[in-house]
Amino acid sequence: EDAAEESNVSAELIALRKRLVDEWNAWRSLRKKEIGEDKHEETQQVENKEEIE
Amino acid sequence: MLSFSSRSHAFDLSFYLGHERSLTQIKFNADGDLLFSCSKDQVINVWFSHNGERLGTYEGHNGTVWTVDVDRAPKQSKFFVSGAADNTLKLWQVSNGKCLYTWEFPTAVKRVAFNEEGNQVVCITEQRMGYQCAIRVFDINTQDGSKQSKEPKFMFNPIGSKATVCAFTLQPNIIITGHESGKVALFNAKTGEEIDNNERAHGDVVTDLQLSKDRTYCITSSKDKAARIHDTKSLIVVKTFNTETPLNSAALSPNRPYVLLGGGQEAMSVTTTSLRQGKFETRFWHKVFEEEVGRVKGHFGPINTIAVHPHGTSYASGGEDGFVRVHHFEDSYFRAKPYGDLEIID
Repeated sequence: EDAAEESNVSAELIALRKRLVDEWNAWRSLRKKEIGEDKHEETQQVENKEEIE
Repeated sequence: MLSFSSRSHAFDLSFYLGHERSLTQIKFNADGDLLFSCSKDQVINVWFSHNGERLGTYEGHNGTVWTVDVDRAPKQSKFFVSGAADNTLKLWQVSNGKCLYTWEFPTAVKRVAFNEEGNQVVCITEQRMGYQCAIRVFDINTQDGSKQSKEPKFMFNPIGSKATVCAFTLQPNIIITGHESGKVALFNAKTGEEIDNNERAHGDVVTDLQLSKDRTYCITSSKDKAARIHDTKSLIVVKTFNTETPLNSAALSPNRPYVLLGGGQEAMSVTTTSLRQGKFETRFWHKVFEEEVGRVKGHFGPINTIAVHPHGTSYASGGEDGFVRVHHFEDSYFRAKPYGDLEIID
């Protein structure tokens, strides 16, 4: 099923999706980094950081 | 279009002597084993999410219960709060269903939400009878639930359009709100100052606002038929999902790149050609590609509220029809990579 789906999408669409995912991941990484730093600044305590998947 | 196969544990709340009227909000606790539902029938029900068995029915409100939230503490979920048309906000104990404290206001309570730590609650009271829409923040005494301060820690009247939904952001005392006008805004609860806004976040009333697990972004739904993902710090609209029906609820699916949207128009207000059950499906959209990927049938009237299990293993929808439906996803849902191997950060 996945293979059939993939063969139907054009190279252009694949490139677009790749770009969208890259943009999304860049934004998510930035925000995750920010809150990691914020937490570090605000609390001196050692925290159990969430696992990064 | 892909279709999701899901094993449906549809439980009819009327059948379980539960809700007799339309659902207004549903929420999972942090562990996802409990599902809280409230309704126009004036009661709150708590269900075991895996089988639909009822843990309890909580009576005490004398009017539509508009809103419910449960504290996010894992392995604990000590308290839940509810707001109703009887102008009260109530704090309840999860373990025994006792109402621990009641706050009274001049108008109905339309929305409640806990903060991350479970020691503060924010609520919206309705604009009515000469009273302005008000947002209040209460400190919650988590040691002795029956001893609460009567007065809010902060209270303010949002300027302009009245607020319909709200939540705590990651920043202390900063509340994110959705409004009747379609505006999404950030308020400093301490000063009542509107720090930032997006006046054109939506073109019509904002009906739901749900946060991501880390509270860095949220999804809103609107009667303007769209749902949007916003950065909770900058209020930048990151994604837009345009449907063809007014939306009442939008939820994020943890660990999967999907958002779940629900809504629909009552048969009376639409043309006969639209008179099909299909109008009342939960719609799945790809969070990053903004494409609809599937629908799940389930209701005989508009969907009013959707909640996703905190582990993303199931979801629940509550309808105008008085039903709550819980769908457990099959393994194929988790294996499916309809867009290839692109890794998407949650």
